[in-house]
Amino acid sequence: MSDPRVLRALLVSVAATLLLVGCQGGLPADPQGTLVRATGGVLRVGVSENPPWTELASDGTVGGSEVELLTDYAETIDAEVEWVPAGENTLAAMMREGQLDVVVGGLASDVPWTSEIATTRPYTTTIGPDGAEVKIAVGVRPGENALMTDIERFLAERGEEL
Amino acid sequence: MNASEGEGGEEATGSGHDAFGEQQREALRRAVRLEWITIAWMSVTVVLVALVAGQSQAMRAAWAEDVLSLLPPIAFLVAARRIRKRPDRRHPYGFHRSIGVAHLVAAIALLTMGGYLAIDSVMTLVTVERPPIGLTVLFGHAIWTGWLMVAVMVVTSIGPVVLGRKKLALSETLHDKVLFADADMGKADWSTAVATIAGVIGVGSGLWWADATAALLVSLSILRDGVRNLRGSIGGLTDGEARTYDESAPHPLTRRIEERAEAESWVDEASARVRDEGHVFHAEVFVVPVAGAEPTLEGIAALRDRIDELDWKVHDVVIAPVPELPPRQTFRSTLRTRPDARP
Repeated sequence: MSDPRVLRALLVSVAATLLLVGCQGGLPADPQGTLVRATGGVLRVGVSENPPWTELASDGTVGGSEVELLTDYAETIDAEVEWVPAGENTLAAMMREGQLDVVVGGLASDVPWTSEIATTRPYTTTIGPDGAEVKIAVGVRPGENALMTDIERFLAERGEEL
Repeated sequence: MNASEGEGGEEATGSGHDAFGEQQREALRRAVRLEWITIAWMSVTVVLVALVAGQSQAMRAAWAEDVLSLLPPIAFLVAARRIRKRPDRRHPYGFHRSIGVAHLVAAIALLTMGGYLAIDSVMTLVTVERPPIGLTVLFGHAIWTGWLMVAVMVVTSIGPVVLGRKKLALSETLHDKVLFADADMGKADWSTAVATIAGVIGVGSGLWWADATAALLVSLSILRDGVRNLRGSIGGLTDGEARTYDESAPHPLTRRIEERAEAESWVDEASARVRDEGHVFHAEVFVVPVAGAEPTLEGIAALRDRIDELDWKVHDVVIAPVPELPPRQTFRSTLRTRPDARP
């Protein structure tokens, strides 16, 4: 980059962005505004059956440790939870279409659905069938960073990391 | 050439170090030190960026760029070691061309870096990949990873800027195109950092396309530098006309050599074929004697020494008396046909 004008333009744009952000307050924000919409409203959570994290009863009700986790989280933002039970690949497709906000089901933090599901920082670990440690995380719609950091903060506080 | 064949014969084919004056030796020492500092700095950067990169495409691209930017300093250090060797029977032209090879390596590093970054950014934009940037817990405090990325980029970009400026000055003293390409890349590294910061903050503000767009802008400028350096290094390795350290113009030394030859009373016309061997130039000077004058061995040897004294870069001079210059004059410098190219 030999043209100093390009550099100056970049610097100015950084400064402008910083200023803009400073005025708005609060980083990060959601491109789709999920956290703002769900706060005091409805949080749409996909559930993939994977005991003991998630369990589906024959009457259609959901349970399990991660269902309790998300119920508790929804209370912190005063939201109703709409549970959507389905298989992992269906949930990934729904996530891509913007029909879900969060996915639970004992997801490993290195889920293969990286373009459909972003995982939070792992909040616990378990031992996989091959004897290796598996990091467990919650799935969030990719790029919805305000929602993601909010859930991560909740998980960290619950795990007494903070 | 054997030392007994005339005065100055030995220095004409000595090692790259022998060609240097005291100023160049000092510059080379400083350049070697700067490149070691660069390698140390970039190694730390590579580790730091890897720790905070996470799922951000721009940060991963910045990391790949940091890894690649280790290549030119390594190429330079290897070449600087090679040129210390004296010519031998198997390498009659000496080892200066190592600089040319290192330049090619640096150019390809720039090109790869730019290409990788450009393709990566376009893919991110086309597939609408929204970068997730979450929370990091550091010593019991929760902090948005984006701020950590910004901090790492700010801290790690200081090195390339400072080192790049110092190397740029040395590259002119040394006529070293590897050092120039590396310094250029250091500046590219800085603008990458700035663009990455803009991108991360943009993502934080909910503009998911910000970091990919910023990365794309930077990659285009790196690609342009890569192409320019690739052309320059291939030009040098394929015996193109000697050019200045930054490839901006034909090197004025070619014309000065011709003018020096034409200043001799027995020379009617002269044309020089000068190639860049890396740091030093090899010159073949074709001279047409004045009508009726017979060139003497003493005259030729004296002219050779005078041309040798013009500049430290003039390293290996061959004087070839010819009855006439070829009519097509293919080896005449473009400096003659383009007087505006002279600085």
